[in-house]
Amino acid sequence: MTTDPVLVVEDLKMHYVTRAGTVRAVDGVSFAVARGQSLGLVGESGCGKSSIAMTLLKLLPDNARLVSGSIILNGVDLTTLSEDQMRAHRWDRISMVFQAAMNSLDPVYRVGDQIIEALEAHSASAGRDAMERVRELFDLVSLDPTYIRRYPHEYSGGMRQRAIIAMALACEPDIIIADEPTTALDVIVQDHILREMQAIQRSLNMSMIYISHDMAVIAEVCDVVGVMYAGKLVEFGPTTEVYARPIHPYTKALMSAFPSVRGEKHDLTTLPGEPPDLLDLPAGCAFHPRCAYATDECRTSIPPTVQRGDHWATCWNPVDDLGGE
Amino acid sequence: MAKYLLKRLAQILVTLFVFLTLVFFIVNAQPGDVSNFYALNPDVPPETRERLQDLFGVNEPLWKQYLVHIKNTFTGNFGISFSHYPRSVADVIMERLPRTVVLFMTATALSFYLGFALGKILAWRRGGWFEYTSTVGGVTLYTVFTPWFGLMMIWLFAFKAGWLPIGKFLDPVLWRDASIDANSVFNQMILTAFVVSVVVFAVFVITGQRRMGNARIIRIASIALASLAVAGVWISSGTVVFAWDILRHMVLPVVTLTLISFAGTMLLTRNSMLETMREDFVMAARAKGLPERAVRDKHVARNALLPVVTSFIFSLAFAVDGGVITESIFSWPGMGQTLVSATLTEDLPLAVGAFVFVGIFVLVAHLVADVLYAYLDPRIRY
Ligand SMILES: Nc1ncnc2c1ncn2[C@@H]1O[C@H](COP(=O)(O)OP(=O)(O)OP(=O)(O)O)[C@@H](O)[C@H]1O
Ligand code: SF4
Ligand SMILES: [Mg+2]
Repeated sequence: MTTDPVLVVEDLKMHYVTRAGTVRAVDGVSFAVARGQSLGLVGESGCGKSSIAMTLLKLLPDNARLVSGSIILNGVDLTTLSEDQMRAHRWDRISMVFQAAMNSLDPVYRVGDQIIEALEAHSASAGRDAMERVRELFDLVSLDPTYIRRYPHEYSGGMRQRAIIAMALACEPDIIIADEPTTALDVIVQDHILREMQAIQRSLNMSMIYISHDMAVIAEVCDVVGVMYAGKLVEFGPTTEVYARPIHPYTKALMSAFPSVRGEKHDLTTLPGEPPDLLDLPAGCAFHPRCAYATDECRTSIPPTVQRGDHWATCWNPVDDLGGE
Repeated sequence: MAKYLLKRLAQILVTLFVFLTLVFFIVNAQPGDVSNFYALNPDVPPETRERLQDLFGVNEPLWKQYLVHIKNTFTGNFGISFSHYPRSVADVIMERLPRTVVLFMTATALSFYLGFALGKILAWRRGGWFEYTSTVGGVTLYTVFTPWFGLMMIWLFAFKAGWLPIGKFLDPVLWRDASIDANSVFNQMILTAFVVSVVVFAVFVITGQRRMGNARIIRIASIALASLAVAGVWISSGTVVFAWDILRHMVLPVVTLTLISFAGTMLLTRNSMLETMREDFVMAARAKGLPERAVRDKHVARNALLPVVTSFIFSLAFAVDGGVITESIFSWPGMGQTLVSATLTEDLPLAVGAFVFVGIFVLVAHLVADVLYAYLDPRIRY
């Protein structure tokens, strides 16, 4: 793996302004993804995973505010781009497989035409070449080429997912964000598609961000993992490191909720305690009301970053005990 | 698709029968019968009265009359009109029906197009003066008392400004020495419009399917070419002044009908657009880096169109009463006016014929709209 970073995100803050107050959905997130690397973002429902994805594409609803930070993709800071300039980057350099992938295809157009539309929008190819490219893509995701001229409603769930992946690959982007790409599918299809995505990603030496609340999925396909809690990254490091020696009590709690990576899959919702209210975050460490290791300073002061090589976490009382007080 | 259309066709045939039955029984439920119009006249001798009653078949049992009524509908034989004697009802209707169809179709198409285009913009840029004026203006026109509005239009544009004729189908002074009659000119106009729309539609379908890069240029060129050809043919035929006269008479009723009805489509389109904008495929279209215009027109509007067309199909039947009122105000000699005058002059054969034809027209319009819907929605087409 090279260390040439494709994407560098620095101190990213994106808040939603609502009548009830400000939702700090992305609250100072920093990370980098190298070429050919796959990063996993894991966390409970509502912790801001999809919000990060949409911020990276700058596809935000009207009430969203990009407060601070930079998103440097191939040396270009996306946060400084105008909407027109950004449009040229979308899909061409950074594409996405949506959380609601099943409904991401327009029901009134043929699937092939929807892929060609993306190719033509970026002048990647047009006419006969575009058709040829679609055939290639269908082959890549093992879809029957006769389905190029079919409509989405003629596809099964798994096929639609493959079509969306083919579409995301169309312009050979530097990075693809896959937001819970397989949650709507049954387990066997999920596994198949996940493996194929990983194989394609490796063979094309493409970078990838997988978003999931399923630890097993992340463990299976990601080189690096970031654990999110309440809009913040609380632990980050190589997947093997994080799984073998978690530093943050939250990560550890997640681990113990998953006795074996290959075993039964659990949802993170099985974790005890209430997920935090992003409108009214607890002071100090946001995890303290649910943390078994919480001490007084956790309730009042922001926890420091604990570094172990390229593996870090933010916590007052790291559970790996290497740095213990 | 075939199954869907067959089902619709069957439904429409059933509806037609119910409708014909209703017309028959409503007419028969009126006091007296067809022969009264002549037979109650004291100057008519008794034997003539009886011969008349035999002729009209009013002494036959009701079921037999009903069967005759159905049979006559399918053979197009509605008898002789009283008020247009000696012309047959079918003849009168054949003269009047095209006028209504053209007026109605033009106004409907315009109002749908205007409503859809405005609704699209309304949903896209919410707030501001544009939303305010078009909503208030549209709803005001939509709810205004139609006869009053029609009269205001005549007063303003025909009487005060004098830009347009006050009413009727043509200018009698101009046509007095014409070597050609109004119906054949009008029929030629319809034929022209039909040929042009078929050609333009075909060009749109072909350019749409072949994914041609210069589709827009080809489309514009084909429309320009067709217009030029039409202008050429009409000018060389020498009847262009007469066609122009009829066209001028059409403007006010068409504009009035359009103005009073576009707001329905507009508000519906707006709501449908706002709902479609929340769909995931719209987000996906944006993520693909498509220009806003493409997202709006190709994805949001195209999908938002479906429920608008559905409700438009349902509203077709109600458009008839608006048509009757408008024709009366503008003295437009079409089916609506025929219906009213036939009823007022107790011209029963003509009234029955007019009712049946208006009904069939609405049903056919329904069927066409259904086919259009199936064409628009691949989930039904396949
Ligand atoms: N447009 C919005 N306005 C206000 N709040 C929002 C908006 N979109 C999302 N949120 C809130 O922001 C928080 C983060 O949402 P996000 O969708 O990013 O979570 P997530 O981690 O992707 O969750 P899930 O696993 O359920 O997909 C949630 O609390 C959500 O309620
Ligand atoms: S900082 Fe304190 S409360 Fe937060 S995770 Fe660490 S120990 Fe638990
Ligand atoms: Mg999400």
